[in-house]
Amino acid sequence: MKLKPNADILEMLEGYEKIVLFGDSGCAQLCDVGGILQLEAMEDFLIQNNKKVLGYVFVEGGLCDIHATTLEINDNMNMLREADAFLIQACGVATQVVTDLIPEKESFPAVDSIFLGVMPERFVHHETCVMCGECVLHLTAGICPIARCAKGMLNGPCGGSMDGKCERDGETDCVWQLIYNRLQSLGKLDNIRRIWGIRDRSLSHSPRTIIHEDF
Amino acid sequence: MTCEVAPPHGADHTLIEERIRLVKDYCDAINITDNVRGIPTMDSGICAHFILKTGAEPIMQMSARDRNRVLYESQLYGAYALGIRNIVFITGDHSLLGTHPQTKTVFDLDSVQAIQLAKHLMGGTDLSGAELEGVPEFFLGATFNPFADPLELQAWRVEKKRDAGAKFFQTQAIYDLERFQIFMTKVRPLNVKVLAGIIPLRSKKMAQFMRTRIPGMRIPDEVVSRLEKAGAGLESKEKKAAICAEGLLIAEETINAVRNIQGVHGVHIMSVGWEESIPGLVEACNLYPRPILR
Repeated sequence: MKLKPNADILEMLEGYEKIVLFGDSGCAQLCDVGGILQLEAMEDFLIQNNKKVLGYVFVEGGLCDIHATTLEINDNMNMLREADAFLIQACGVATQVVTDLIPEKESFPAVDSIFLGVMPERFVHHETCVMCGECVLHLTAGICPIARCAKGMLNGPCGGSMDGKCERDGETDCVWQLIYNRLQSLGKLDNIRRIWGIRDRSLSHSPRTIIHEDF
Repeated sequence: MTCEVAPPHGADHTLIEERIRLVKDYCDAINITDNVRGIPTMDSGICAHFILKTGAEPIMQMSARDRNRVLYESQLYGAYALGIRNIVFITGDHSLLGTHPQTKTVFDLDSVQAIQLAKHLMGGTDLSGAELEGVPEFFLGATFNPFADPLELQAWRVEKKRDAGAKFFQTQAIYDLERFQIFMTKVRPLNVKVLAGIIPLRSKKMAQFMRTRIPGMRIPDEVVSRLEKAGAGLESKEKKAAICAEGLLIAEETINAVRNIQGVHGVHIMSVGWEESIPGLVEACNLYPRPILR
């Protein structure tokens, strides 16, 4: 996730004066977009630009946890009633959760949600999953070709893989080289020697719904 | 002997006819590229139709970058109806390397799966199993890059493409004969038809551009320094002519060398906009006149 440019945030809040900021201690904080520090910075920025920040709704865990978010909203109802709009410093799911819970007011996204990945060190994030709907990691040595190959190839690599790097740029690793190296060390290269057949892409058609059986 | 011509970067089909006329007597079939690096050019199927109209045999390239399985099927029906029989399936260079980096790439299939799809259609049904109103019959081709990594996996991909239905292969442009020979030791046992790729160089700048901007290209330093030396001490037009001549000489030497490599069945000259170079190059290699095929 990345905070949107300041100008974009001001543009979407034009005409709204009293703002409540939303953040959480989960992904939003980990991605440095909606932790307490970023909510404070946003408050300063908005005040400088003649807005009133009435306060924060900060959820321990994730704003996507509807139960936890509902409890926080109930605790802050007076502040939220007074607000003109909400600025959500978390992913697109969070903005929609708040929209659903408080439909009478508008919730705006302060963040561009970019990908699902890992954070090997603070401020550094790599995309590792595209939620394709059919995990293949058991065949590719725990390294995803769909998320990490620039072409999402299953019978990779393409002819642009050179010296371990992707054709797209000189820095991105060719994921098929990584898969090859690791399968070789596992003695499982046969996994990728056979043709990988045409995939069922309907599994990744949005919007998707899952209903788990009760257990 | 196959040649590649560049499709027009616009709507003027007479350009394709002009380019074909330059090369058609010097090759057995003409390859037409498909929006290389995502730079939009006239549709490869439409160009193949114009190639047919000139009396030449087209090879139509289809990239996985810009079309999903629905469009593949639809365009393959159309291509067959137009009389196009030779199709080369490629994954396609990433559009981030071209002029339209903002586009959404497709990659519904990869090149291996695209060959599987075409082969499937030749069986008389589409991917849903519905019977076709007219069954296409294609001569399926593919590409391989002897210079890409990892070598073993790249060789397995040739095998996969063969098993999917590819009968012939075009290679990436060859400048590094040593590596090509090593790769051919892996390809030979697969019993496929290989057309060795040749791109005549016409400037040092072009060589450097290809090295840095064209995926999967290996151009050894000595090739670049040969071009440099050829132009040394000369000015403007003379310098350009000397470098072009050296580029053609390198291409000629490479053609003669690859023809002696077991498992190579032909040559595929990619003119990259320098169609005028092809007749002289083919003649220099004693590959003209071409045998009459029909």
